[in-house]
Amino acid sequence: MEQIMEQMPIVIHSLNIGFLQTLKLFFVTLIGAFPLGLIMSLGSTSRFKPLSYFIKFVVWIIRGTPLMIQLLIIYYFPGLVLHNPIWGGGEAGRFLAASVSFILNYSCYFSEIYRGGIQSIPVGQEEAGLVLGMTKTQIFFKIKLLQVIKHIVPPMSNEIITLVKDTSLARIIALQEIIWAGQAFMKGSQGISGAIWPLFFTAVYYLIFNGILTLLLGRLEKKLDYFR
Amino acid sequence: MKKKVIAMLLTATMVLSMSAGVYAADESDAAYVKEKGTLVVGITDFAPMDYKEEGSDDWVGFDADMAAAFAESLGVEVEFVEIDWDNKIMELDGKTIDCVWNGMTLTDEVTSSMECSNAYCKNAQVVVVPSDKADDYQDTDSLSDLAFAVEAGSAGEEEVSNLGLEYTAVKAQSDALMEVSAGTSDAAVIDLLMAAAMIGEGTGYENLTHTVELNSEEYGVGFRKGSDLAEALNEFFVTSYEDGSMVECAEKYGVQDAVIEQK
Repeated sequence: MEQIMEQMPIVIHSLNIGFLQTLKLFFVTLIGAFPLGLIMSLGSTSRFKPLSYFIKFVVWIIRGTPLMIQLLIIYYFPGLVLHNPIWGGGEAGRFLAASVSFILNYSCYFSEIYRGGIQSIPVGQEEAGLVLGMTKTQIFFKIKLLQVIKHIVPPMSNEIITLVKDTSLARIIALQEIIWAGQAFMKGSQGISGAIWPLFFTAVYYLIFNGILTLLLGRLEKKLDYFR
Repeated sequence: MKKKVIAMLLTATMVLSMSAGVYAADESDAAYVKEKGTLVVGITDFAPMDYKEEGSDDWVGFDADMAAAFAESLGVEVEFVEIDWDNKIMELDGKTIDCVWNGMTLTDEVTSSMECSNAYCKNAQVVVVPSDKADDYQDTDSLSDLAFAVEAGSAGEEEVSNLGLEYTAVKAQSDALMEVSAGTSDAAVIDLLMAAAMIGEGTGYENLTHTVELNSEEYGVGFRKGSDLAEALNEFFVTSYEDGSMVECAEKYGVQDAVIEQK
């Protein structure tokens, strides 16, 4: 116990740096995947068949393979196969590759959630809009979108909370997020070696952050309670 | 599992690169590194070879200092990047790093997939057991009733499987130590240099100790297959051994006894 107290400041400092990386990846993914997911969902419901088949094909590939493999492929493939290591070897390159993989992966899941939301709006509302002389764009933004947002908050919350934990997969391409930081003390780092507790302690970070997210998302759900 | 994945990726790589015909011309790796101006060194946190001092952001250690000196001799900057040890060959071939310089044991796997420098340091694989049981396990014959934990793909795994001992492969040497500490395995096999740093007095594993040395082995630096940098490093090793700077550097980190004469 005494030893843990001694190690505490160094470990916490290290875990904080790691968690900052985790948070960066989390927010970058959300910022990228929210709009990209919406665009993809519009593509997959498009009446232009080649586009909707293409999007469905992409979604099948991305949802059908583990994110871990996608990270490996996206990071190593350019250098291994095309002999053009576009990401570079530094930490910035690893973060960029991880961001691209996560945005792509989460866009696919988000697009399906958006699609479910969009298709849950009764077709009568669109017909009513058309009768009133609204354009398709107007109908989408003024009538459908608000209801869609309300409908998709619970499933989105699910994905967002999963995303917090999925960021740990990025350690496969040596992105130094919090799990990596915690594990470093097991094999030895900064004068501490053989310390097992930092790895387990990382769970506290996830738990607290997800607790805050749950509260915020719950509040958002209440706020959106405009039409039951 | 991971090996299968890597094998599949490599197969896909080969097929694609052959069919697409995008293989780069055999240009000199040294020229490539000089042109981009940085030597990217793939490492893991591994005292006393590559590590960070408490509260510092700079990589130091016998390997780190030698790598920096080698980069200087090439006239390029050095950049250290922490990698996942399992992916070192992919990192090299994918050019995300230029060399692996991290107390790497020259096993058949390593020498067949990388262009390796001459050995510069020696090491041994040692058996780690709880201190209170150490007296019972002082020779190889006494090990037969123990359940071992070893790092998957490590030199330690090779040793225990050659001896026909019962073992579990875990992800890292540190995991093997955790297994022994937690009592889920009776003993582990890890590097001597690592054991010296990680177990015994003043470490997180005060109740562990190391006994039998199973084999001795040598450390080398790995480059991409066919790279001319390995030869350049051998020459650098000879110069720095002759002018004493290599041993001086080793003394700084307490590994001078392990350094191998370069000629």
